Amino acid sequence: MSISMALFSPPISSSVQNPKISFPLLSTKRFSLLSVTRASSDSAAVSATTVEIPKPASVSVEEVPSKPPAESSSDETDLPTTATGIKFQDAKWVNGTWDLKQFEKDGKTDWDSIIVAEAKRRKWLEDNPETTTNAEPVLFDTSIIPWWAWMKRYHLPEAELLNGRAAMIGFFMAYFVDSLTGVGLVDQMGNFFCKTLLFVAVAGVLFIRKNEDLDKLKGLIEETTLYDKQWQAAWKEPESSSSTLSSKK
Amino acid sequence: MATFTLKSFTGLRQSSPDQTRFVSHVPSSLSLPQRRTSLRVTASRASPNLANRKLRVAVIGGGPAGGAAAETLAQGGIETILIERKMDNCKPCGGAIPLCMVGEFNLPLDIIDRRVTKMKMISPSNIAVDIGRTLKEHEYIGMVRREVLDQYLRERAEKSGATVINGLFLKMDLPENWDTPYVLHYTEYDGKTGATGQKKTMEVDAVIGADGANSRVAKSIGAGDYDYAIAFQERIRIPDDKMTYYEDLAEMYVGDDVSPDFYGWVFPKCDHVAVGTGTVTHKGDIKKFQLATRNRAKDKILGGKIIRVEAHPIPEHPRPRRLSKRVALVGDAAGYVTKCSGEGIYFAAKSGRMCAEAIVEGSQNGKKMIDESDLRKYLEKWDKTYLPTYRVLDVLQKVFYRSNPAREAFVEMCGDEYVQKMTFDSYLYKRVAPGSPLEDLKLAVNTIGSVFRANALRREIEKLNV
Repeated sequence: MSISMALFSPPISSSVQNPKISFPLLSTKRFSLLSVTRASSDSAAVSATTVEIPKPASVSVEEVPSKPPAESSSDETDLPTTATGIKFQDAKWVNGTWDLKQFEKDGKTDWDSIIVAEAKRRKWLEDNPETTTNAEPVLFDTSIIPWWAWMKRYHLPEAELLNGRAAMIGFFMAYFVDSLTGVGLVDQMGNFFCKTLLFVAVAGVLFIRKNEDLDKLKGLIEETTLYDKQWQAAWKEPESSSSTLSSKK
Repeated sequence: MATFTLKSFTGLRQSSPDQTRFVSHVPSSLSLPQRRTSLRVTASRASPNLANRKLRVAVIGGGPAGGAAAETLAQGGIETILIERKMDNCKPCGGAIPLCMVGEFNLPLDIIDRRVTKMKMISPSNIAVDIGRTLKEHEYIGMVRREVLDQYLRERAEKSGATVINGLFLKMDLPENWDTPYVLHYTEYDGKTGATGQKKTMEVDAVIGADGANSRVAKSIGAGDYDYAIAFQERIRIPDDKMTYYEDLAEMYVGDDVSPDFYGWVFPKCDHVAVGTGTVTHKGDIKKFQLATRNRAKDKILGGKIIRVEAHPIPEHPRPRRLSKRVALVGDAAGYVTKCSGEGIYFAAKSGRMCAEAIVEGSQNGKKMIDESDLRKYLEKWDKTYLPTYRVLDVLQKVFYRSNPAREAFVEMCGDEYVQKMTFDSYLYKRVAPGSPLEDLKLAVNTIGSVFRANALRREIEKLNV
């Protein structure tokens, strides 16, 4: 009896999570159960068989809605009818949004921890995409976090880094130009060429932060003009206008 | 633009015998040199009237583009032949038409299965935004069944005088001279099922290629290739209680799991929903994206049965050459599908109509032979009217479908009332409506804010990954 219970419990739980796999699993379990009951003594066998019959029926009821696609008639395929599996859960995630009261520190809301919590939630969802339900809609709007919290956390460190780079470049370029030409800093600022260099240095520091950025910028310029070029193609005739062969794009 | 067309036009002139022919036929005031300087070319006044016959035009393809073109041609007094390979074709399609199409093409309201008045946009982190609050009572997005719409437009074309032939276009022989006909080779199915059909030929003066994304007409004229997206869709019949949720609501899912450069959708159809997704760059993974889309909508389509699986290419941009001599491409064959939303039905029908109008005008209701300049006028009008729309949607796609943070920002932006109003105005009436500058400024600031926040969260996620 306990053997039959033990043998039956795993298949039932697995059928909830993996409907497609459960069918062959159950059939093997059932066959093994039959062989077990036959091996036992007569009295045990009689009682075992009486217990056995209702069990497969209950299991098969659970099985019917989650039929594997290969078994359905005509070309209709049933979607799994079991409810969703793993979901994002967090004590502070209440009713589809972060409960601000739970993020308080010293009486004030700790915006940084909300930002980190939301990042964790998004990371979780990227790795395990979840279904949306109407019962629990996600309502969180990042704009409830005030602008200065974002600034403090993201803009300021980056601004510090970039300003530091610009300052270093500026100092060494000023020294370098001075040593080469003898033109001091104040006179350099009045010179057109130096002003151009300054502009290039600032733009470079702003736009090229990693090595990959150079290629990305080039690709970006190409990308912005591509669609227009594709539309104007009808107005430009290829050099060999009399050929009717298709031009390879 | 003027110099381009002029240069191209003269470049296409066949060979000198034609030029001398014109000079000899026609007094000097209408000779070629004058045509070089003025672009206001009216009907091919240099071409003579067609002797005791009307202009014959074949429309290949009987979808929205072909049906609209054939109707306009027939109404304009031109002998029209429409060739369609499958009269009951259920083209795999989202099936959404804007409100203006109903008015402009006089569509009967019973063609529309559903009126969608609400949309839900769902971000990669499942933040859902409801769109549609700004729609007025009479505004909606119409959902149609393609087989119903196409059949209706074809019947209207037939009533106007077009001949509808059930046949498969194979190839066409290009003419030698400016006035020799095109010879079309096609297989005619006589309506008998199971028959392989008869090979036939037909001579026509001009051809409108409306045969869709894999256009054979385009191949015949060497129109060139385009990039295309694969749209994959499953039609799912869901239980009635779940269907009430989709009564007048369509959903759009964005995310890397659903599509790297497009969106996944759940559109309600007559008695089932269509769940699908599409991609340009990762066509091999389309099944994976489809599973992800179904997973995201899982709770809402629980217990459904898949009744049909279908896929179709969607052009991403126009072909390099949309016309050649007296052959013009319209609709999907030309590549008139917008980016970002992937809308094609309205533009197909409108381009068919515009091209047909240009032919009717150029031939003076079928009396004269046309030439490429008449068809170029259709291209000019089309580009002038709709290029801004296409450009705006291209920019939207480039900016907002790039990455998950961009999509999050996009969904956040869509929650804004002003954005919704502008979006629906431009979608339903096909106008890039000018909004108020103050609101535009607010919108710009909000956009930058949303994008900044989303990217900041992305950097936070990367920090967690480390």
